Amino acid sequence: MRAALQEALSRGWVRMVALVCAATVGARIAGAVLSSEIHFSATLAEPGKFSRLEVALLLIGSAISIALFFRRFGPILRIILRSKKDKDFSLRPIGRRVWDFFWEVLCQGKVIRQRPLPGLAHAFVFWGFLAFALVSLNHLANALELGFLRPGSYIGNFYFIFAAIWALLVAVSIAGLFVRRFLARPIWFGTKVSNESGVIAFLIFLLMVSYLGAFFVGDGGVAVKALWWTHTLTLLVFLPLIPHTKHLHLVLSPLTVFLKRDGFSKIPPLSSDEDFGLIAGKDVTQLISLQVYSCVECGRCTEHCPASNTGKVLNPKEIILGVQSYLNQSGPASDAPLLTEGLVDSRDNPPAKYMSMEAAFECTTCGSCEYQCPVGIQHLPIIIGLRRGATNTGAWEDTHGTKLFLALEKQGNALGLSAMERDKFIEKQAFPIFDGTQEYCLWLGCMGGYDPKGREIVADFARVMRHLGTSFGVLKKEKCTGDPARRLGNDLVFQTMAESGLKAFETAKVQKIVSICPHCVRTISNDWSEYGIAPEIEHHSEFMARHKDRLPQQASGESIVYHDPCYLGRYRDVYEAPREIVAMAGELVEAPRSHERSFCCGAGGGLAFLGEEQGERVSNVRAAELAATGAQVVGTACPFCNTMFRDALSSMGDAPPQLLDIAQLTARALPKMQEAGEQ
Amino acid sequence: MKILVAIKQVPERDAQIGIAADGRWIDESDLNYTINEPDAYALEEALQLKEKNGGEVVVMCAGPERAASTLREALAKGADRAIHIEAEDLGERDTLGVAQVLADAARDEAPDLILTGLQSEDLGLGQTGVVLAELLGIPHATIIMQVEKTDTGLRVKRELEDGWFQHVEMPLPALLTIQSGGNKLRYATLMGIKKAKTKETKTVQAAATASPSITLERVYLPEKQKKTEMLTGTPDEVATKLVEKLKFEVRVI
Ligand code: SF4
Ligand code: SF4
Repeated sequence: MRAALQEALSRGWVRMVALVCAATVGARIAGAVLSSEIHFSATLAEPGKFSRLEVALLLIGSAISIALFFRRFGPILRIILRSKKDKDFSLRPIGRRVWDFFWEVLCQGKVIRQRPLPGLAHAFVFWGFLAFALVSLNHLANALELGFLRPGSYIGNFYFIFAAIWALLVAVSIAGLFVRRFLARPIWFGTKVSNESGVIAFLIFLLMVSYLGAFFVGDGGVAVKALWWTHTLTLLVFLPLIPHTKHLHLVLSPLTVFLKRDGFSKIPPLSSDEDFGLIAGKDVTQLISLQVYSCVECGRCTEHCPASNTGKVLNPKEIILGVQSYLNQSGPASDAPLLTEGLVDSRDNPPAKYMSMEAAFECTTCGSCEYQCPVGIQHLPIIIGLRRGATNTGAWEDTHGTKLFLALEKQGNALGLSAMERDKFIEKQAFPIFDGTQEYCLWLGCMGGYDPKGREIVADFARVMRHLGTSFGVLKKEKCTGDPARRLGNDLVFQTMAESGLKAFETAKVQKIVSICPHCVRTISNDWSEYGIAPEIEHHSEFMARHKDRLPQQASGESIVYHDPCYLGRYRDVYEAPREIVAMAGELVEAPRSHERSFCCGAGGGLAFLGEEQGERVSNVRAAELAATGAQVVGTACPFCNTMFRDALSSMGDAPPQLLDIAQLTARALPKMQEAGEQ
Repeated sequence: MKILVAIKQVPERDAQIGIAADGRWIDESDLNYTINEPDAYALEEALQLKEKNGGEVVVMCAGPERAASTLREALAKGADRAIHIEAEDLGERDTLGVAQVLADAARDEAPDLILTGLQSEDLGLGQTGVVLAELLGIPHATIIMQVEKTDTGLRVKRELEDGWFQHVEMPLPALLTIQSGGNKLRYATLMGIKKAKTKETKTVQAAATASPSITLERVYLPEKQKKTEMLTGTPDEVATKLVEKLKFEVRVI
């Protein structure tokens, strides 16, 4: 059907019809101008009587238009409804949903915020459409003599002028967007020019112009009839185009935004003994189907993706479109695998291995895509779902991945070291063992317990706690939270780790946990909830910010650029606490991409443990960006970011900035303080 | 090809080992157990042989109730069936005694090939496989790195010392003891675990202990010892004595 339509489009008859109509109007107006007959009237001109033939034509036209709309929309709806049910779905919390709907759909908050100018243009088109809906309805109703907005009436007059202002804004905006798409052409739109977008833009423009034109002509003339028919025909052509193009989002995305899963990067529990993740069409749930059909192909996800930006195969937009084409081709009951190593057609770009295991396992789970998407598509449950399907069945065979899983199975830590190494470290640092009398359990994590740099950070943070007089203890035995297994889709290892961790906290009667690792914090506070209730946990940035009154203010004047870790920022919404700490240690500098738009270090999603990357290293790109700010110090708040940057910065040669965790930035001022206190 | 893999459950590598009160075995309370690593490689070899040549992989393990978890893990990794030979008194059985209970179970199965790890990580005797082969009257080869099925039987690669290898052709049925590191181990998957639940585990009782030919008298942790011996005489004599000791007693030169 799409093919047929596209052919029709390319044959250009639609355009022809539209052009002829436009030409008529244009000529009319131009003629009016030339003969200086033009008069702008504050009231909208209405065509007079409609002949029976006209009414019949309108009815037939409408019937065809609506039929064509449903010919495509029907199957899409059926695919979505026949997809697997989301077992964990709940409308609660309804307040959050209503707010998201208000902010993201009605206010277009996200669209404007992420790309202000085109966002605003889009918002005008959207608001204009809303304002215009009534006018268009009235417009059609007029032909049947059912018009409800009378040009003469008080309300009608106000509304027509009101709509006219919007029409003007829409016309300007859509023209601007058209120029951007076809002349400026940002790279993330893909290499192929989307003709359908052009046609749609033109139709919208025509809708507006044919409405505005009616202010310039007198009642009852030929001109007003011509305008009326132009407007109507444009509407009737527009309607069936909606489900055939990405403009389907006009219908679906309000629903998508309202229904999206609660929580960022939320990985749903497996629904049954037969569920191993997204293996085939039959595993695709209704929410996923709804989301993939809502994609507007704006490319925001890919624009911000660290993998796509460094030459990897992974392209989040193509993953979404890949699932969409899969559903179109194979349907939601199919057993055909979603991930193949072969070529998959993409609508915009040349065929590539977008739906491949290679691509799925290049994701750092940084969450930029999900954060950016203006229509509420949640990429992470999909990408991690695909990984689950591959890992839970053993289809993913990767030397490093296998080594990691075996290390987690056997040694219980991601670095594959003997647990005795951790014991030795605890002994050397004289960390007390948590026995229920201390306020905090200091969670070391794999990096804090085994990695040399992570240990320095933990040791420094312990000094800060001691300085504050906060009592803490560490667990005698600690296993990985299961974060890398979780993100790589290994539910077996993750469950084992989560259950063992929950038990350890329960046995030790831990009430409060603090950790230097955002990944541990996220996994314990959020992902573990599938298996039990973990004690309250916070990140050391939050802890230190709370106690900042009693921490030393340093007068170093040093410039420190702070890097937002994905799992602290986008995942936990903590942006200010670490900045407060950095600001106490020196002068805070912002990287070009910071806060919600921070660029990943490349370690997340278990990738820190996998082999060498394809293309450029994500960590190098980010480290260079941080160094380019000219700051003397790079401040981190995650031991993984720290290791990634350590390697990246050291390979950068001449005098790279110093690299310090916020705990180290704080602790370095402590001894002097203590001495001063002692004196 | 029907392959039987004999596996052993041993304390986890990092376990803090303590000695039982009677001083004749380790204290088993508070210990976590796992599959003996060389046996994991034996299982991997069996699974790969099955993937290439078809057939069935049966795992067996002698031990108390806890051994069932290691068998389940083996089923999850892809073994088809499991045999649990229940024995509470493994510590009191010598190699021959253990090999005997394994041989009893193996006879009922009549496999084409028996695989087991080269040695166990706890006792490290390296004999169980060999004795088992003798009891069953089948040929065996030890320290195997690679196994290949041929028309007549097997072609295997043995590890010798100093980087030397030996290729051996042998008929079936046979027993091989597998060296660690010859293959890449696979990770356990959720699907495997779920499937394992539907697989059969047969439990048999181990025959009563015959009087063992070797008894464990005492088990103890390595004793740290510092022995100091003063060498006296002229510098020449001391040097000669030192060289002698280094050569023949400490054997480092
Ligand atoms: S989570 Fe990050 S790395 Fe993964 S697809 Fe999205 S933007 Fe790319
Ligand atoms: S998934 Fe979202 S962000 Fe990505 S192209 Fe589609 S609509 Fe845009």
